[in-house]
Amino acid sequence: MSRVRPTGDWDGRSFAHEAFAFSADQELVDRVVPFAVEGLSRGEPVLVVAGERVRTLLTQELGADVRRLATFAAAETWWQGGHRTLHAYDRDLRALQAVAPTWRLAAEPTWLARDDGREWSRFEAVANRCYADLPYYSLCLHDRQRLPASVLDAVARTHPLTWGGSAPVPEPAYEGPEQFIRSVHPVWAQRPARASVAVLTTPREARRTVSAAALGWWPARVGDVVQAAHELVVNALRVAAFAEVSSWTDGDTLVVEVADSGPGLPDETLGYVPPPVGPDGGRGMWLAWSLADDAAVDSHPAGTAIRLFFHR
Amino acid sequence: MGLRPGDHVCWTFVDAADFRAAVLPFLDEGRRLGEHLLLVGASRPELLRALAPLPGRDEMLASGQLEVRSTAEVYASGEQLSPAEQVAAYRSLVDAALARGRTGLRVAADVTPLVRGGDDGRTRLHVYEQLADALMGSVAMTALCLYEASLGAEVLGPVTLLHPDQHCGEEEPLAHLSGRGRALSLHGEVDVTQADGLVRALVDVARGTPGEVVLDLSDLRFLDVAGARALARAAQVLRAADVQLRLVRAPRTAVRCLGLFGLDGGETVPA
Repeated sequence: MSRVRPTGDWDGRSFAHEAFAFSADQELVDRVVPFAVEGLSRGEPVLVVAGERVRTLLTQELGADVRRLATFAAAETWWQGGHRTLHAYDRDLRALQAVAPTWRLAAEPTWLARDDGREWSRFEAVANRCYADLPYYSLCLHDRQRLPASVLDAVARTHPLTWGGSAPVPEPAYEGPEQFIRSVHPVWAQRPARASVAVLTTPREARRTVSAAALGWWPARVGDVVQAAHELVVNALRVAAFAEVSSWTDGDTLVVEVADSGPGLPDETLGYVPPPVGPDGGRGMWLAWSLADDAAVDSHPAGTAIRLFFHR
Repeated sequence: MGLRPGDHVCWTFVDAADFRAAVLPFLDEGRRLGEHLLLVGASRPELLRALAPLPGRDEMLASGQLEVRSTAEVYASGEQLSPAEQVAAYRSLVDAALARGRTGLRVAADVTPLVRGGDDGRTRLHVYEQLADALMGSVAMTALCLYEASLGAEVLGPVTLLHPDQHCGEEEPLAHLSGRGRALSLHGEVDVTQADGLVRALVDVARGTPGEVVLDLSDLRFLDVAGARALARAAQVLRAADVQLRLVRAPRTAVRCLGLFGLDGGETVPA
């Protein structure tokens, strides 16, 4: 029998992101218990945030060592929508980073089983980029009995590591963040001829224009629509003299598009990257994405167009 | 113009014609309301010429209802402007006007020279504008503060924000930082275009109050990421000066932006 190396060659200095899918109790125990024990033996903070089944098994297997975990929490209460959940998670990570040189986390995003929780895979995808320098090992646990095949497929495509039986190994289905995000965003169809289009040079004009369009669609969401579109217009006007703002409805969905002739987005996944610490740094795309129900990006060296989708 | 006691207008002008177009109807309205009128500007002779078309100019000058004085005479230069003394002087002028049977004091002042007192001078001007605004909230005074448009956005940004009524060419007024209530309060729409001005104005008016400064956000109709960043920056600068900026009564829609900077908007108000 080969020796189990729960974190393989991980040196504790950068981000490792593994997805582990389990069916039987023993499978889970064999993966998570050595992972936790290794962390405790190395003096690392070990955090566990998981559903009831995982917590019950770990309590039985770890015995008194459960009390040595830095966090041992129920995942069921964590979901507040993708952006809020990641923002809260991000604050916890920054707090850890301030006190620990390295740490490890076994986390079960139980909300992936919910229809409104599936967007979490987008954040998992982008984490590979925005957390690349954070010194921790994230072992993401997925219950095959609870999660549909489409979610397990997204899990594989968003985690660079999977479990090889005695050590983590590269996941063959893994995709880069951009590729994954593009594949889940709505298809970029041609703008319909009925869309109303305005060319604007100031954010305040954009607010008036978008507000008028949203009022005719659904007054209750005017605030969200105006705020989200405003931030995109501000970004567009940073790189171009004017922004083209168009909007149309598609069934119950309002689509707002902001286009510019700037040099293209350096990173089109920024809508999923949590705000930095301190007042500097952009937050407009993060805010716009969090207010909208979905988004799509068409960016190239001659310009950028972003669509935000709001469902009634 | 429809201005009444309590109104405090920031008016940027491009040239002499623009200046006259603002000042003449303003003073004529005061004449009709029976107010004491004071026009302040760089050069007294030029001001008198500008007033030539004003109905009753000579009679009002003779009776003392209209006074024309130079900026240097009324205000000390920017380096020496004492905000509290200047506001006290205006308060006395209001009392004197009322004692003479006028209905109030109406001042049109080209305060452009006050901006030229360097960085400290600008700080004193901001403190002064805020104290003057609070004064106008409580006595029978109406003011038109005139600033040359050529001063540019960096200088005019904070100054404009400190006036409840604003006129800057074609631009629609957006935000106002008021000290008329028990707490400072921010009104209207705060977006990226006023963010820098807001940091400057807020820091300047709050810095002199060690301890806690409360900023009421309940009348804010719009706040964007840049506006929230401005509040975060101002709070940071003030903290270094031992002033704790406490935001209260943020509208629900603004809370999201504030949260992006770890700012707490206090107990929220709807909308």
